[in-house]
Order: sequence, then structure tokens, then C-alpha cells
Amino acid sequence: MVLAAERTDAQVVRDVLAEDRDAYRLLVRRYGGVLHHHALHMVGSSDVAADLVQQAFVTGYRRLRSCRHPDRVGAWLFRILANLCKDYTRSPRRRDVPLQSVAEIRGRGSDPGEDAARAEVRDRVHAALEHLTPEQREAFVLKHIEGLSYEEIAAMMDTSVAALKMRVHRARESLRGLLEELA
Amino acid sequence: MNDDLRRYLDGEAPFESLPESARAEAEAWERVLAACSMGQSEIEAPTGLEGRVMAEIATLPERSVPARLVEWLLRPRAVHVSPLTAGLAAATIAALILVPAMVREDAMPLPTQPDVGAVVYVEFRLEAPGARSVAVGGDFDEWDGSHSLVDPDEDGVWTGRIAIEPGLHRYMFLIDGSNWVTDPTAERYADDGFGNRNAVLAVTTPTA
Repeated sequence: MVLAAERTDAQVVRDVLAEDRDAYRLLVRRYGGVLHHHALHMVGSSDVAADLVQQAFVTGYRRLRSCRHPDRVGAWLFRILANLCKDYTRSPRRRDVPLQSVAEIRGRGSDPGEDAARAEVRDRVHAALEHLTPEQREAFVLKHIEGLSYEEIAAMMDTSVAALKMRVHRARESLRGLLEELA
Repeated sequence: MNDDLRRYLDGEAPFESLPESARAEAEAWERVLAACSMGQSEIEAPTGLEGRVMAEIATLPERSVPARLVEWLLRPRAVHVSPLTAGLAAATIAALILVPAMVREDAMPLPTQPDVGAVVYVEFRLEAPGARSVAVGGDFDEWDGSHSLVDPDEDGVWTGRIAIEPGLHRYMFLIDGSNWVTDPTAERYADDGFGNRNAVLAVTTPTA
């Protein structure tokens, strides 16, 4: 017998496709945090990020049969979410949602003053990210905030390293003004 | 931004390689990025996410019995047969085919064997103005969705030819890498078991 926590992603996908819907919650537990992290940095609002993550998981469930590599279902779900985030940032409805402080879910350091300063920097960076194209923002967030390598991002987002470097470079150029303000 | 700083920020050069003039900006970037990033231990799923996802999934219709039956029939599976059993089966089939032909005086020539491995080029077409990319995926490519269609004249009509083996195939179009849509012009459709319809395509070998 394989315990739930020991099941690999591929086994979970197989179980879900064999009508064991409840097994899908294991994928939600495994990847909910990572997906939320990315969505939060992409859209800025924790409420919108939560909605997009939920939408990504439901879409993933509906399309699970099209997941070609069940052992990499996490990356597959990430791509679904990344596309939802980009669609959202292009959508007119985003203008109706005020940017909320992304600091509210973090700031667990021992120094409240330092936490507040970091939170302010984060909020200002996120406000600046709003002015980037969705592709530039996605590349910048994955590279510099989520700390992935260009090779990892390229494999995940099905694009080239050269294209990613150019997007990140342009994003950094756009953010240099902010950098001088914060210096 | 000079190339040295760019390489440093891309993780391709150490801090020590930076000229003195670029070090202040590099340190400023580090401070800002450190404030933005957070450790893995701080990453949490949204509150109540699991419950909401599972509740929404529970509202989706279950896959119908015919859909499961079709999938069971179409799913490739390994069959283990002993050499003896396989030999007997082959002999039985050969006898069923050959004996009636031999006893008939006007027996017609045996039909030629189907061209195993033959493919047919099928042209897919989708009107999708505004799409950034369109691809097609189906059971012929394990729903990979990597067969891209093209719209060279940018009139919103995406086309592409794909080699597919003869048989009954289910497929959908993939728009912008994430949105699966059903072919609105398909001749047949089949429930995918998740509340959507797959287009169904019958590919036959052209007769000579």
C-alpha cells in the first residue's frame, strides 16, 4: 500500500484519471504555495492571486488527460497559472482591482522596523512591475524574485534562454529609475 | 546598464569581476531584490485553497459510461501471449481466411495487407483572430499540443498539415498555449468526460 504522502506526481495523476478525484488534493497541497507565490508577484493582489491559483488547479483537473508528462505535472500546472496571470494582466478588469500590499502575507522577521522597510521596498517594486509588459514581468519575477535559472525558466515556459535574457534585461532597464529612488 | 553588470545580475560573473563604477548599482540591486524575495519556508497556499478547489471539482460532471467505454477501447495496452497460443491463433485465422477461398472455384485474389505505419496528411484550420499562437493536439500526439498552426498573412485563419495514422482520433485546438478549444467545424464530437467535447476525426487511407 502506498501512503498518500508517498505517492509520486505520476501516481497521483494516474489515480485521478482512474476516477479517484480526491487524490487531486495532493497536487493542490504540493503546488498551492509555489503557484500562489508566483501569482502574487505577477498580479500584486492576494485576492486575485488566490482566485487565479484556484482557477489554475480547476483547469488543470479538467485538462489532466492532456498532461503529457505526469511526473512533471507541477511544471504543467505552473504553465497554466502563468498564462492565466498574463491574461489577467492584459485584461481590462484588472483596472477595477486596486493593488494591495503584497507585504501583508509576509514580514515575519524579528525586527519590525526592518520588516516594514522591506515591505515598503516590495510594494514599490510591485507597483513598478505594473508598468512592464506581462512577459517582462513574468521573466523578471521568475529570475530575480523566485530565483530560478534561465534554463529552468526556459524549460518551464517553453521559450529560449536568449529571449528570456532580453526580457529580464529590458525589465531591469525599466526599473532602474526606481532603484535610484530607493538608493 | 553595462555588460559587466548585466552578466553579474544574470549570475554569469562574480561580484569581484565588476568594475568599481558598477559595484554601487550592483549592491543596490541586491538590496532591492533581497527585499522582494522570500524563502521557501514563507511560501504558503492561499487560505482554504484546497477546500475551494475540491468543492469546485466536485461540481464537475462525472465521466459518462460511454465516454469511459470509448476510452477503454481506444487505450493501447500490452497483451501477453505465449508463443504457443500466438501460433495457434495465427493458424486459426489463416485457416479461416484461406480455406473458404481454396474451396471456391472462382476464388478472388486475397486483399492486400493494409499499409501498416502509413500516415495521412490532414489539414487543420481554425479561425482565431487575435490569437498569439494556435496548435493542435489529440490522442495522435498524446495531447502534446506541439503541432503548431501558422497564420502567415495574419488574417486570423490558422492552418497546418499534420501526418496522422489512419484511425479514429480525438483532438482540440490549443490557443495561446493554455486555452483548449473545440473545433467548431468538426463533423463529429465526443464527450471528454470533463464537461467538454473533443472533436473527432476519422482518418482513412486514400484508395488507389
